[in-house]
Amino acid sequence: MIPFIGLLIGIAIGIFTPYHISSQYSSYVAIAILAALDSVFGGIAASLQKTFNMKIFISGFFGNALLAAGLTFIGKKLDVDIYLAAVIVFGTRLFQNFAVIRRFLLNKYVKRDNI
Amino acid sequence: MKNTKAQIAIAFICILLGFMITVQVKSVRKNTAVNNQTMQRAEELQTELKNEKERGDSLYKQVLQYEKDLQEYQKNASDSSDQAKGLLKQLQNAQIQSGMTDVEGPGVTVTLTDSQDKSGDVDAALFVIHDTDILRVVNELFGAGAEAISVNDERMIATSEIRCVGNVVTINGNRYAPPYVIKAIGSSDTLEAGLNIRDGVVDELKHYKIGVTIKKSDKISIGRYNGAFNPKYAVPVQKGGD
Repeated sequence: MIPFIGLLIGIAIGIFTPYHISSQYSSYVAIAILAALDSVFGGIAASLQKTFNMKIFISGFFGNALLAAGLTFIGKKLDVDIYLAAVIVFGTRLFQNFAVIRRFLLNKYVKRDNI
Repeated sequence: MKNTKAQIAIAFICILLGFMITVQVKSVRKNTAVNNQTMQRAEELQTELKNEKERGDSLYKQVLQYEKDLQEYQKNASDSSDQAKGLLKQLQNAQIQSGMTDVEGPGVTVTLTDSQDKSGDVDAALFVIHDTDILRVVNELFGAGAEAISVNDERMIATSEIRCVGNVVTINGNRYAPPYVIKAIGSSDTLEAGLNIRDGVVDELKHYKIGVTIKKSDKISIGRYNGAFNPKYAVPVQKGGD
């Protein structure tokens, strides 16, 4: 629940920020958003399975975001959409982690019903 | 039971996530709006340009009409006195020489075409028409007494240039590519003979296999100079006394 509140706080801050991202940087922010989503879902899935590791989580987010931004940058210079690799990987992990969370939540409620 | 430290860490990243998503959405919306503005401005400029071009064309037509009227008045004025007739003749000569009026008369039409020779091992630049080739033909025609010359319908006036730019030629500021049609008004026989002198212009051009055709005619029309002339440096010298 706390993460959800965090999300709402973030959206509120974003609405009241007067800053704009110029169009050159928008593709970098987009890939960073994807990296953040992947990290969040990965974090939630790990904490549900009691395998959460603070160092891996934090380093995972910043490392993935930087790597993905780097891929976007190189891809722009080479005129080849290399960032797609990051998109595919993040997307795959997103759905995998989501499946883990889903299974856990469903198991929790199904077990209660049986009791 | 979820670890609270984990929850807080995830919450931080969620704050960042929410912030980024919102700012990104706002920026994308603003950027598309700016793009639309730029496109609209481009469209506006295009319409303005079209209108200006149409205005320019209609003003040009008006100018032609005024010149026609002016000629009428001049003729009427000269009909009334001999002095006026003399002045009118001077004026007409000046107009012909300066290229300000359409002229017609007997003369020749010279057509220059690029060499069709496909022997590839020699330097291709030699078989292409250069500005110097056209200049030589024009020079020879003036030398043989031509009174008016046009190249691809560009009237040759005192300030006309014929210049190579890359692989096209600029004449009076406009670009032209081969074939080059050179019209000259004068004595057709003299003009043709001047070009055909042995080892003269035609022989030299034919040596490089440049196509030259000369056609004599009793009625050649040469148009007027189409540009504007606003001298910034030259001023007429005032002659004092008589």
